[in-house]
Amino acid sequence: MTIPHSPVPLLFDSIPIARDASHPFSLEVPEHRTIAVLGDEDSGLEQLGGYALGLERPESGRALVFGTLVASLPEPERLAFRRRVGYLPAGDGLLQNLSLRDNVALPLRFGSAGTLRDIEGRVNVMLTAVRLTAAAALRPAQANDEERRRAALARAVAFDPALLILEQPFDGLTARVASELLELARGGESAEGARRRIFITGQEIPPLILRRLDQVYRLTRAGMLEPETV
Amino acid sequence: MRFTALHAVGLVSLLSGILSFLVISQATRELGRIGATDYIGTLIVVAIIRELGPLLTALVVVGRSGTAIAAELATNQVMGEVRALESMGIDPKQYLVLPRFLSSLVSVFALLVLFDLVAVMAGFAAARFNGLPGPRYFQIVLQSLSNRDVWLTVFKALAFGTIVGVVPSYFGLAVRRASTEIPIAASRAVVAALVGIFLCSALFVALG
Repeated sequence: MTIPHSPVPLLFDSIPIARDASHPFSLEVPEHRTIAVLGDEDSGLEQLGGYALGLERPESGRALVFGTLVASLPEPERLAFRRRVGYLPAGDGLLQNLSLRDNVALPLRFGSAGTLRDIEGRVNVMLTAVRLTAAAALRPAQANDEERRRAALARAVAFDPALLILEQPFDGLTARVASELLELARGGESAEGARRRIFITGQEIPPLILRRLDQVYRLTRAGMLEPETV
Repeated sequence: MRFTALHAVGLVSLLSGILSFLVISQATRELGRIGATDYIGTLIVVAIIRELGPLLTALVVVGRSGTAIAAELATNQVMGEVRALESMGIDPKQYLVLPRFLSSLVSVFALLVLFDLVAVMAGFAAARFNGLPGPRYFQIVLQSLSNRDVWLTVFKALAFGTIVGVVPSYFGLAVRRASTEIPIAASRAVVAALVGIFLCSALFVALG
């Protein structure tokens, strides 16, 4: 179902995410903005990425990506649509039987019409950008947290998506590395702000990063969004 | 494919060789007493090539690879890898299930051909050991073997290969989030695949 005249890159509209919350979750991620929502482990925030990508359906309410209810699309279109969105799930979601390099290449091999040479070129560019060239041959189990997160981010931006959804992207990372990954995620700056729209969820974000986000909210037990103070 | 087919070559050859040698040894001895050695051909074609060959091959592949497929896919599910694939626009059935399904089909078929070849050769050894001339043994076996037996064996290999590939994949991907579900999924997958193979085998007998 496509909602016309909806320029909002990401919209959560009245979605109940926590059992004891009295307010449903609503939020807009506008153009060129990086928005984070922080909440407890059981706040239900970790479900939002799945709702947006149509991996799960909320009990009520809706999650729209560029005006599209992804979950309602037919299977082939749904899979194709998801390539427009970069997603870094909590826990990386890297495939354990592939090297970090192959993990980055995977979406390109399956979802792009490029030749093998084009894809390898793009993968090399991505690996260089996330400074993962030296560890590219490692399997996820052989790599450390930082290398895995770098690989997961490279995979998430492999198609140069307009929208990024990041779940707990900075957990366990130093402020310096987190800051570096945030810059990569933003994809450069334009006059209006970051080139990509980014939605971040997590329990905590380093203060250095908080200052660089456009808006940060904390989800209360009741389900209310309150501005987070740095 | 390497694990499912190549690594199972030794076990399948051993099972086939021992089974065929024992059966043909006994049969040559007992049938020889009543002058009915010609029935050795029927025995090796009907009992071993047509019935036990496909059944035992499928059981070996289910025992080795069925558990591995179910446990691997269940681990993919628990580790969030299936979800990650879907989020990247990759169909998990295409990426995870299809290669395992095709590999199972090819592996069961290839192992079944190997089983039958080893069975015939072990039967030849057993027959020679019990005094039946080699050329006579091959003559009896070839006389008993019809095109129908060959096609029935091929269909069985395809049917059993399908069960071995699909059933464990289904149970592996049915796991939700807990790692404690992985061994349960593997166990259920093997039991369901075994039941499926026996039912399918019975169906072939009923229809054949």
